[in-house]
Amino acid sequence: MANSENKQVINAGIVGWGAYIPMYRLPTREIARVWGWPEHQYKALNVSHKSVDGPDEDSTTMGYEAAYNALLRSGIDPKMIGAVFFGSESKVYAVKPSATLIAEMIGATPDTMASDLEFACRAGSEGLKASLGLVSSGMVKYALAIGSDTSQAEPGDVLEFTASSGAAAFIVGPRSESAAIVEDTYTYVTDTPDFWRRAEKPYPRHGEGFTGEPAYFTHIIGAVKGLFEKTGLRPEDFDYAIFHQPNGKFPLKVAQRLGFPKEKVLPGLVTPYIGNTYNASALLGLARVLDQAKPGQRILLAPFGSGAGSDAYSIVVTDLVEERQDKAPKVDDYLARSYEIDYALYAKFRRIYVMLPRG
Amino acid sequence: MVLPVWWRKRIPRYRFVGALCKDCGRIHYPPRNACPYCGSRNLELVPLPRRGVLESYSIVYSVPGDNRLNAPLPIGLIRLENGVRVVAELTDVVPEKLENGIEVEAVIRRIGEDGETGTILYGVKFRPALGRK
Amino acid sequence: MAYITSVGLVRVNRNYHKSPRDLAFEAASKALEDVKLDTIDYVIVASSLTYLQASQFDLAAYIARELGVHVKSAFTVEAGENSGLAGAEVALNLIRSHAAERVLLVGVDKLTEYISNRTYKMIQAIYDTESDAVYNVGHAGPMALLMRLYMDRYGVDRETLAHWPVMMHAHGKENPYAMLRFAVTPDKVVNAMPIAEPITLLDAYPIGDGAAAVLLSSDDQGGDHLARLTEVYSSIGFQSIALRDDPLSIEAVGQIAREAGLSPDSIDVAEIHDSFTITGILLLEELGFAPRGKAAELVAEGAFTKGGSGPLVNASGGLKARGHPKGATGVYMLAEVAMQLAGTFPGVKADSPRKGIAVGVNAHGSSARLAFLEAL
Repeated sequence: MANSENKQVINAGIVGWGAYIPMYRLPTREIARVWGWPEHQYKALNVSHKSVDGPDEDSTTMGYEAAYNALLRSGIDPKMIGAVFFGSESKVYAVKPSATLIAEMIGATPDTMASDLEFACRAGSEGLKASLGLVSSGMVKYALAIGSDTSQAEPGDVLEFTASSGAAAFIVGPRSESAAIVEDTYTYVTDTPDFWRRAEKPYPRHGEGFTGEPAYFTHIIGAVKGLFEKTGLRPEDFDYAIFHQPNGKFPLKVAQRLGFPKEKVLPGLVTPYIGNTYNASALLGLARVLDQAKPGQRILLAPFGSGAGSDAYSIVVTDLVEERQDKAPKVDDYLARSYEIDYALYAKFRRIYVMLPRG
Repeated sequence: MVLPVWWRKRIPRYRFVGALCKDCGRIHYPPRNACPYCGSRNLELVPLPRRGVLESYSIVYSVPGDNRLNAPLPIGLIRLENGVRVVAELTDVVPEKLENGIEVEAVIRRIGEDGETGTILYGVKFRPALGRK
Repeated sequence: MAYITSVGLVRVNRNYHKSPRDLAFEAASKALEDVKLDTIDYVIVASSLTYLQASQFDLAAYIARELGVHVKSAFTVEAGENSGLAGAEVALNLIRSHAAERVLLVGVDKLTEYISNRTYKMIQAIYDTESDAVYNVGHAGPMALLMRLYMDRYGVDRETLAHWPVMMHAHGKENPYAMLRFAVTPDKVVNAMPIAEPITLLDAYPIGDGAAAVLLSSDDQGGDHLARLTEVYSSIGFQSIALRDDPLSIEAVGQIAREAGLSPDSIDVAEIHDSFTITGILLLEELGFAPRGKAAELVAEGAFTKGGSGPLVNASGGLKARGHPKGATGVYMLAEVAMQLAGTFPGVKADSPRKGIAVGVNAHGSSARLAFLEAL
């Protein structure tokens, strides 16, 4: 395989990580009840509930809380952050950065880069990779990469079973301060229109089965195989494998095809409990794995975004991980904080009934 | 247009910063031009503890404003860990589980917006505290 | 010192068919029935919501012309819910300083021009819009926080507190100017619709429009008067209940009560601000009419109604039953106390009262005023 990515030591790693999941949960059976789906339609997705943002939450507030948790774990002065990347497909403004909002909220302003990235579910990962580059090159000391989404799905569309809300954030910093270092990465991108949302339209469209083989599987497998080829690593070298998780079924399938046993996938698989948090999807999986990982363990991370592309990362946990695990709420704390709602309340929270300003 | 009204107060509202009076030693939130207790102008901005205890609460049913998205609206009188008190909206509340004395923590949420096409106001609210800091 | 020469009241109600100017005209015309209009120097209009609801600046000048009086000056006084007594303070000082011989004080406000949630949003501005009112707390929210705190601290139950609105409705029933003229039971109060728990609809003032007018005169004017206005004590309080050492202490009211040297025995009749049950209860305690935590019990025992052990409080029915047209409320209070002292109040009457007070606050006590009146 031709390789545009240089083999070099990435002199950066993850100094702090943070997660956020809103407390409201909508059962998939409730969605099926309202829209008249047979249970076969959703049972195969392996998603029991999806997380729903409350009426006063959005991708900014969720991204902020994840970033705040990442800061707590890192212990760094937010003024030292030189770049903030916000990856989302549910930005609160079509024009006006969310990254500046979060940068201001955490106290990283004014001497910092800040921008929003868009690549369906993969923008947060692109932010992570760009952060690694900026830090590794010495241009900035720390960078903050956030993936946050209050994912949209048209009422009645099958997408509604999984489109959910959550955020994950990572402070990238010097290798010596990292709780997990990034050994290498590989990115695989093509123009594959499996899922999109036209400007000014409220809901995305998708190619149904077309989102699977030509999109999700082709790109993730392409990225992971590229990483294997570049590094010489094999599935047995990894303790955990985390893939983009649009549902509870695809990540297990792609793992099997790549030769990873289920046990290595399950610790980083959160979609069965909260649905697909889009830009936070695989990154929340990484946060959950870091919450429990031991020094020396190796993690494969492979987020995916429609349109389409995937990044594969080889991440190695350092001795610093354990002292940081308890410095902020864990993914499991947020998973445990759940309050079940019905479709009526969901429709109100998501403003499906009426598109009125929030007074 | 309320844009500059919200914008100029963003730092204390985003970062939950209070003001310490260097003459009488008392802290107040939000920061003001003069100490409400002694009138001193000798003030210094200080970050406030994010945790506190709910001293009193109410569920407001007659919610002012344009719609009922946030109704009913829980509000609280919170005593922070350093003794400073704040009146604020509560969030992520299950009304039946509210009671005086529970531990709460500051979070950032949407407080309002300037109509459908205007800017969004973010600020501090309090929610029942999560398991650990 | 100034004399209260005459008063004019409009019944508080949903006066949909009348504008603020119509209401002001009606109240002022009653107060000016036997008065030569060219003897009036100043018109002071006390109002808080009108400039929002009627979109009118320089309201006093427009109202003065509407009344047909050619005064040398007219201005509007705004102090939120405390506007009426702020107007009285200004009028008294104009007369005391010999800047004026006769001042017509008109309080007016309408609350029914817009739908209720718009009006609540406007009323919310009585609180600090840089702190508590950043949130959609409404008028009742912060007072509900105090009510729950009070119940918790003193172990006073909801039912005992319900005796305040019960007393207010019993009084309001007899007052032809009261908006709510029916009796309620404690049970009805407790089980009424919650508006901000634990405050129910029957703990709260009704939404109504009104206007009241009082003509104040100097010593030199001669003729008949109703009562003497000897002093208006005034103080300001913290921006939020959160800033008080004790959130339940309305320090601005405590301050003016001390200045006025109040004791329960020294006062025969009082009109006090009771936007909600808890406001009335806290004011009774802050004024020294009841020990801390005991006001509700004393109210239930009938201490503040006719024949009770304390002064007759809110014979008008208070904000609760007479109504609370914001800026006008203090002027109603002043007129009602003056009529009590003159023996002309057309409702529950005190027995030959000599001294009376009208006490108002804005919101939780951002400002407080106490008007002291004496019988002639």
